[in-house]
Amino acid sequence: MHRIDCPWCGERDEVEFQYQGDATKVRPKPDASEDAFFDYTYQRDNPKGWHTEWWHHVGGCRQWVKVVRNTLTHEVHKTGGPQSKLPLPRRKAEGGL
Amino acid sequence: MADFAAIHPLGDLDQLQGDGGEGISLTVVHGFQSAQVFAVSGKESALANKLKLGTTPGVATDSRTMTALPVSPGQWMVFSKKQDGAFVSMLAKKSNGLGHVSEQSDSRICVRVSGPQARELMSRGCRLDLHKSKAGKGFCAQTPTAQVGVLLHQVDDAAVYDLYVYSGFARSFWHWITHTAEQFGYRVNSLRL
Repeated sequence: MHRIDCPWCGERDEVEFQYQGDATKVRPKPDASEDAFFDYTYQRDNPKGWHTEWWHHVGGCRQWVKVVRNTLTHEVHKTGGPQSKLPLPRRKAEGGL
Repeated sequence: MADFAAIHPLGDLDQLQGDGGEGISLTVVHGFQSAQVFAVSGKESALANKLKLGTTPGVATDSRTMTALPVSPGQWMVFSKKQDGAFVSMLAKKSNGLGHVSEQSDSRICVRVSGPQARELMSRGCRLDLHKSKAGKGFCAQTPTAQVGVLLHQVDDAAVYDLYVYSGFARSFWHWITHTAEQFGYRVNSLRL
């Protein structure tokens, strides 16, 4: 069970959100190669540990929330809006490796 | 040609009296107008000032004529305090150039939950912390309650909640709330604004 801190609504329960995938992928430029688009569309890492993800607050304000979440412990480290830069935790005290 | 008459989504369900218990009072509120108001990008503050809409998430704005609940950045659900056929067009006129207004008067029903066990009842289906230390008069939130999307507005410092429920889910939600209220004892009332 996750508690996700929506930047607008505040902390809400996981059931109000829908997972929307990997937030680290950046769309290639329109003239990029087919391989670059293949990678952007289909290729995903499956990290054990911290991961930056999109969650859609569909049961609340319907905003997209960027979430740094640990796929092993389910801990939510930080959340922000689409423009937020959310560095992964590095120090051990923050749960980093 | 057949005559068509508007019917309330709950039909005659709110004519039932409940079991007469004192724990919960369910009041179906009829006769309000409502609209969703969206700000044009970059005009959020101007629209909020013009219509006197609060912009703090989770805090309702109450005036003599309307209640505005912020539902998202630059978006509000606005409800009239009394029956007023010109309410939505008045909002649209005032919002001209700053925002857009969508008529929603028939899209939601309003059930007012009150009584000594109202907070207990809400805790059976709503995941928000409604303890008096966290939520008082004016608190509002859009949140699933019993798996139905509900716009919740606390109208008093005591546990009195206006629940705005989509019309299509009204009967299903009504079954949940009356079934859950049975353990406390409940009465059903109807209020026409």
